[in-house]
Amino acid sequence: MTTTYPGVDEASPGSRTPLLSVRDLRVTFGRRGQTGFRAVDGVSFDISPGEVIGLVGESGSGKSVTSMAIMGLLPTRGVRVEGEALYDGRNLLDLSQRELCRVRGSQLAMVFQDPMSSLNPVVTVGTQVTEVLHAHQKLSRADAKAEAIDLLRRCGIPDPGRRFGEYPHQLSGGMRQRALIATALACKPKLLICDEPTTALDVTIQAQVLELLAELVSSLGTAMVMITHDLGVVAGLCDRVNVMYAGRIVEQAPRRELFAHPRHRYTEGLLNSIPRLDGDRDEPLHPIPGTPRDTIGWEKACAFAPRCRHATDECLRPDLELRQLAPHHDVRCVHPAGAASSGATGGASAAGRSPEPPKERS
Amino acid sequence: MTDNLLEAAGLMVHYPIRSGMVVNRTIGHVKAVDGVDLAVPRGSTYGLVGESGCGKSTLGRALLRLEDITAGTVTFQGRDITKLRGEELRKLRRHAQMVFQDPMASLDPRQSVQSMLTEPLRVHGLAESDRAEFGKNSAKAHAAKAASMLELVGLPRSALGKYPHEFSGGQRQRIGIARAMILNPELVIADEPVSALDVSVQAQVLNLLSDLQDRFGLTYVVVAHDLAVVRHISDTIGVMYLGRMVEEAPADDLYREPLHPYTTSLLSAIPVPDPVVEDARERVLLDGDLPSPANPPSGCRFHTRCPWRRDELCATEDPPLREIAPGRRVACHWAETIAAGRIEPHAAAVVPAKDAEGAGGSATAAD
Repeated sequence: MTTTYPGVDEASPGSRTPLLSVRDLRVTFGRRGQTGFRAVDGVSFDISPGEVIGLVGESGSGKSVTSMAIMGLLPTRGVRVEGEALYDGRNLLDLSQRELCRVRGSQLAMVFQDPMSSLNPVVTVGTQVTEVLHAHQKLSRADAKAEAIDLLRRCGIPDPGRRFGEYPHQLSGGMRQRALIATALACKPKLLICDEPTTALDVTIQAQVLELLAELVSSLGTAMVMITHDLGVVAGLCDRVNVMYAGRIVEQAPRRELFAHPRHRYTEGLLNSIPRLDGDRDEPLHPIPGTPRDTIGWEKACAFAPRCRHATDECLRPDLELRQLAPHHDVRCVHPAGAASSGATGGASAAGRSPEPPKERS
Repeated sequence: MTDNLLEAAGLMVHYPIRSGMVVNRTIGHVKAVDGVDLAVPRGSTYGLVGESGCGKSTLGRALLRLEDITAGTVTFQGRDITKLRGEELRKLRRHAQMVFQDPMASLDPRQSVQSMLTEPLRVHGLAESDRAEFGKNSAKAHAAKAASMLELVGLPRSALGKYPHEFSGGQRQRIGIARAMILNPELVIADEPVSALDVSVQAQVLNLLSDLQDRFGLTYVVVAHDLAVVRHISDTIGVMYLGRMVEEAPADDLYREPLHPYTTSLLSAIPVPDPVVEDARERVLLDGDLPSPANPPSGCRFHTRCPWRRDELCATEDPPLREIAPGRRVACHWAETIAAGRIEPHAAAVVPAKDAEGAGGSATAAD
């Protein structure tokens, strides 16, 4: 289980058999007999061994629910999960709890957003790391302890021997996140899902943790799904990026392609609305009007249409398809950007953009 | 720098640490703000950045006398407000207001928008400049002012009868802004005004803040951890570390040429949403975490994490904040030497650029 894969640098989808293949994943919340809320609506993507995939979106876009569904962490009541997540020839969504427990932690692992609430406050950090080793690798106590201390050290925790016996509240935020990463990587999983791993951290600590993740993942050959709302994090880390909006993937591209030529109007809008450190300060920001809650169901029209400046009647078509506009670049949009203004890079504004005052619909 | 609306000199805010079951003894102090000087010219925006725990929010609140000041002075409109009490202090609030971080927690869930917006008017009365438009103080005049304020912040009049839970985060922050602006204050201190909002909504609120500044000639102090946000709206930026101001510079210069090692590391830690820039830049990583503000390191407070640390001075002498170029103040013994490139950072702290091949575009965006 410790096969190492050479790091995959730039995206090369389809060049090898995917490690995990998610097909048409749908998650609906709601009680029986009521119309539910579809949080994830037909998400499909592949991850090759050693690849880093970004899942970007704002709150409510379904990115976290996607990861929870793959890991089988959603409650069984009141949730309907459809579609498939093929891992090693098996559909993860069909596994029993017992089978899932065997896969989780050893093959698939997850790092959560808030390190304080995802570590058990009344159990020492060391025990939380060795627990995984006991469960999956059947190591003896002494071996597990030695291994855990080594893991903590490799995750950049100074004085790991002392930290081993400490409780989560005795560690700082960054240190807790490192402990959590150590727990997740204890059994050298083949796939690591990180759900906003650095959102609760300060920027200088965020830089340390991201560096650590990138290093560990490439040395272990682990594939990683990075879930974040921060386009900056994705830009530096991911091979391929999926942008989600209202439960569907709206754009899929290798990172350089995505940032150089964003084609979906939402991606373009996001890039234009964030202030950039290296941008022109006098250039006004071009916000996306409205809020992420102003959506139409995808089964009726493009969910982004109410906020889109380029929306026309054509956008009110049910179930828009992801179209391939360039090699490895798929977009779910009737009027994709970039047709007229080629060569627009990064945060540069696209043609036909008028700086109008922001308006919110209530 | 003649017309400063707000000035602070040697400002300190210390919180006592108490211990003991029967006798409550003070065993030390958390030095949240420990000697800060700043001046905010009328009509400009001053940005305060730093990591959590550096004292930026405490400083923002202390400037409005919302925290007890341990030592130092705050001067507002040329008047020392450090010792103001009672009625005098209450009158100050008409001219200086605050926008809080969490729009859910800072709006009373059981108060309607109308009641929330007219409360400052009931306390202080309409501003002089508004009397002509809305007439004498009366419930009707107050309601009219509240409605016009709502329109200014981009909300419909119908919002007056609603309660905070009926609004989205961005709309709630607009209400918070309307409440702060309704008295036509001169100074508004905004503590993390956009950090609780979705990315696509942040820009709306930032634009609103700058529109209102243009319209009313407001002076802002914006406290935020996001340097990109602060840089976008500020004229001058102060970078704080462990209760001290370590660098102060015009917004553009700070990014172009950071002088303090902490600023350099902070800038290089911020991810830029552009893979070309991300891959081409060399980054400086800091070790470890922020030391405890109860027991700050000796000498330069940053020396324990500084990648440019020297054996002389750094651990022993506290560097003063000194002006080394017009408008640029920095608290580092070696600022000039580092800027001239004569001291290199410790190699362990530098993460080299990921690649130099640059597929799909030159690295010109890296400035």
